[in-house]
This record gives sequence, C-alpha cells and structure tokens, in this order.
Amino acid sequence: MSARLTALHGNHACALASIAAGCRFFAGYPITPSSEIAEHMSHELPRIGGTFVQMEDELASIAAVVGASLGGLRAMTATSGPGFSLMQENIGYAAMTEVPCVIIDVMRGGPSTGMPTRPAQGDIMQARFGSHGDRPVIALAPASVQEIYTETIRAFDLAERLRTPVTVLYDQVIAQLLESVAVPPPEAVHVSERKWANGAGPAYQPYAAGEDGVPAMARPGDGHRAHTTGLTHSESGFPTQSPPVVDRMMRRLLGKIDVNQALIEKYETLMADDADVLIVAYGITARAARRAVTVLRAEGVKAGLFRPITLWPFPEAPLRRLAGPARAVLVPEMNAGQLVLEIQRLVGRDPPVHPLGRIDGEPIAPDEIVTAVKELAVHA
Amino acid sequence: MTQMLDRRTMERREIRLAGSGGQGLILGARILFEAFAIEGRRASQSQSYEPTSRGGFCHSDVVVSEDLSDFPLVTGLDALIALDQVGYDRSIGLIKPDALVVVDERLAVRDVGRLHRLPLAARAVATGHARIANMVALGAFVTLSGLCHPVSLEEAIRRETPERFADLNLAAARVGYTLGETVAV
Repeated sequence: MSARLTALHGNHACALASIAAGCRFFAGYPITPSSEIAEHMSHELPRIGGTFVQMEDELASIAAVVGASLGGLRAMTATSGPGFSLMQENIGYAAMTEVPCVIIDVMRGGPSTGMPTRPAQGDIMQARFGSHGDRPVIALAPASVQEIYTETIRAFDLAERLRTPVTVLYDQVIAQLLESVAVPPPEAVHVSERKWANGAGPAYQPYAAGEDGVPAMARPGDGHRAHTTGLTHSESGFPTQSPPVVDRMMRRLLGKIDVNQALIEKYETLMADDADVLIVAYGITARAARRAVTVLRAEGVKAGLFRPITLWPFPEAPLRRLAGPARAVLVPEMNAGQLVLEIQRLVGRDPPVHPLGRIDGEPIAPDEIVTAVKELAVHA
Repeated sequence: MTQMLDRRTMERREIRLAGSGGQGLILGARILFEAFAIEGRRASQSQSYEPTSRGGFCHSDVVVSEDLSDFPLVTGLDALIALDQVGYDRSIGLIKPDALVVVDERLAVRDVGRLHRLPLAARAVATGHARIANMVALGAFVTLSGLCHPVSLEEAIRRETPERFADLNLAAARVGYTLGETVAV
C-alpha cells in the first residue's frame, strides 16, 4: 500500500503523526496556535485506548507526560511560547532522568503573551537553553505540513531511541496551513522501541549505558528495582555529588547527543555548492528563501540555501563546509536574531554572517530575502 | 471581454478572500482548496486572523502551485475577493496589475485590475441569510476567473459544509454564478 494524499492542516498532521508513531498519552493546556493538536488528540486517543488529559496548566502537563512515559507509554504535549516557558524545568527533569517525551511548540509572537495568532520563530534559543544547567537537546524544525508529519514521527523515534525529550518547533503559519500530505500506511511508520531492561535481575543498574550512551529502562511491573531522581545520580540511580561520578554521568548524558549525531542530524540544501551568498533558513522562512533562491538564480545571482531540519544539535560540519567558500551568509528568521548567533559561532568572521530579522508578526517574504541577498552580493 | 484564466495552466495562482472575522472567509478558502483538489490541482490554504471571534481583519489565501515546497503564502494576488472594507484596504496593495478583483458593491474602491463590484451581501440576504455572502462570492469568482469548474465548487461545498446548510450554500453559489455571468460580457 502506498501513501495516500490527504488535505491536512499542520496541527492536524501533527496529531495524526503522533498517533501513527504510537503516542498513547497526551496531557496539555490549550493555547493558540497549538490548540488544534489537543483538540484532535482529545478525539482520537480515547477511541484507540489512549489517554487524553486537559491539565490545569503547562507545568502539570509536562509533569504528567513524564509520568506517563516512565509508566511505559509514548507520550507528548503541545503548546506555544508562553506554555513552553512554563515547561522548562520539567523538560530539564526529563532530560536528566532520561525519560522519552515529545514537546510540540507552535511558535507565536512574543515575548510574554505577545501575539497569539501571529507567527514567530522566537523560541529557537529557548529550545536550546530554556532549562537550567547543561542538558542534551534535540529540536526539529519542519517547514511544511508534510514535514510536520514526518518530523513528528522522527521526534518520537529519537525520543524513544535516545531516551530524551525532543522538541518540534514550528510556527503559526504552517500550524494552520492546509496542504496535501502523503500519509504513509501504518506499516510504513517506524518508531524505535525503547531500550528496555530485561533479565538483569538484582544487578540491574538503571543508568549504566553502553557505547551508544543510552541506558536500558526498567519497565514498570517487570520486577526491576529502579530509582528516578532529578538530582545528579550514579549508575545506580541514587543521588550523588561525588565529583568524579557526577563528571562521568554528566559527560555520558551530554555525549549521548554527540555519539548519535549522524542519527539526529538532518538538513537540506538548494544550490548551495557554488553559492556566493548562502542563506540559512528554517521553517516557513526557508520556503520564502527557497523562492528567493529561484528568483535570484534566474537573475544571475548565485544564491543558495542551507535548511537545517534538525535545529539542535545544529548540523555543524555541513554548514561549515558550504559556508566556507561563500562570500556572505544571510540568516533570515522571525525574531531579533537567534539562530544567527549560532551561525556566527560556527562560521566566524569570514565570510560575514548577516541577520535579517522580522519581529512584527508577519512572515518574511521572498522579496525581502531577494533584496538582502542582492545587497550582500554587491558589497561582499 | 473578461479574460479567462486557463484552469489547466500549471502556473502559480494566488487567490485571497479578505474581510472581517466571522464572514466565513477561512471556510470559503477551504472550499476553494477542495475544489482545486477535486480537479487534481495542488494548493496551499493559509489563514490570518485576530484574537477576536468576530470582527478584525481576516484573510484566507489559496496558492495553487504544483511545487509542494514552494512558498505557500501570497506574494502577488491574481485574484482578490473582498467582503468588507478592512479586507479590501489591507489587501489591495498586494494585487498584480491585471488581477481579478471581486468586491461587495458597498465598498469604497479604486478602479484597479479587472474590478467587479457586485451585490454579494444583498443577494445573500435575498437568498436566505447574510452569512452566505462568502458562497455568493465564490460562485461569482468561479464564473469570472474560470479557474475551476462550478461542478468542482459544488462538490467541494457539499464536502466542506454541514449537510443541513448544503442546499442554502449551493443556492448562494448559484446566485453567484448568475452575478458573474451578468458582468462577464
């Protein structure tokens, strides 16, 4: 059976993909422009034996998700910037305790309650640094309704496989955009099974890991003794502040991302190999950039696009390789300059990296990128 | 002679329904999206609204393009349907020079593009309800643009609207065809 084309809104695609990925628990607090995800999950989950809970707020939502996942279910929540802020502490808890979960953040104009119905890309750094301390971070940035479907499934796969929270970031435009989506048949959807402890008996160490850095989780009811805490802990799961143990455990926790970089990394390029001006863009802005590249090439300007689909960890090596020969790099985004900081860190001063920010609640149009690239192509 | 747009063309087409919240603009665009889908055309339908359930500038856009990864938002309108002054005022700057512009007769407009001022709201009321002006507008648009077949529009209306309103909505679309034919000389 092949994929069938279905017209879906972005948030609806997200909900359907979550169900297809095996999500059976959703806890959330409705917030524009993410509410349709909760709405669809509230219809779908009870029908298939799953659980939908509308919580009292976002702190409770992510806590319930962590609990459900510890109980063995694939679990998720969905929110927007203000709610994502409230979830940060327990996202850190999930990272520290290595509990798989998926957080959908549909970005709207901020800060604070900002512009509920307008798009933005202002949560890029919050996704990376929003929770205190150093923690492993995976964030994905789909650019179309189709990609919301595939990246939501990938978010569950990465979360389960690497035992870590995964955030999917997209904006109001694609959340409420209606597009044709190729929905794969259920048997074509693959999500890795969480690494479960089996047969270890009394010698089971809940936080001991092998080469891939991922410890096996005790499935409730299987008889393993396990302790879960947000305090720094040893392989036993019990708290410790012993410097060498903490150092070993923290390096293993953070290294889980490095060891699995090839698995996590995902990006796309368009005419980037010989680009004089390389545009780095994600989400809806990448689709404006794609149009801009086509227009610019037709006019003889050598523009190219680098589109990270995995935002964190950033696909560093390919960006460096493609940016190196360019004369300038342009980073359009719907914020005052967030991802541009990472690109400047990676590329350095040569070639120069320029921001193109928009913070008025309007998406960036292809023309704006065309104008900015032409300016750079002349002066670079 | 009204210039007909060839519905078989593979070119990108951008259509906007604009007005104020509550006029059924998003539903109208959704129906148009569905009508194109019925004809095997690919499209994106986006929406922009304000945090009020009634009133406030609202628009919903349909971009017809075979390239699925193309920019899904409007950059230059081939057609504008405006039911309210705020929708017209905030969208007219986006039209291409020869765009089809279908507006309610009560709007204050400049003579731009291929302009048609039609009694959309009045005919909606006469047909049964002020709230079906969106369907009257879609009917007129289909006749004037030739972008999709009335049969596709009617099928899309049946699919996308509640059954108990189907007859009323279809009647409104047919009133729209007549309006369109009257001016499409």
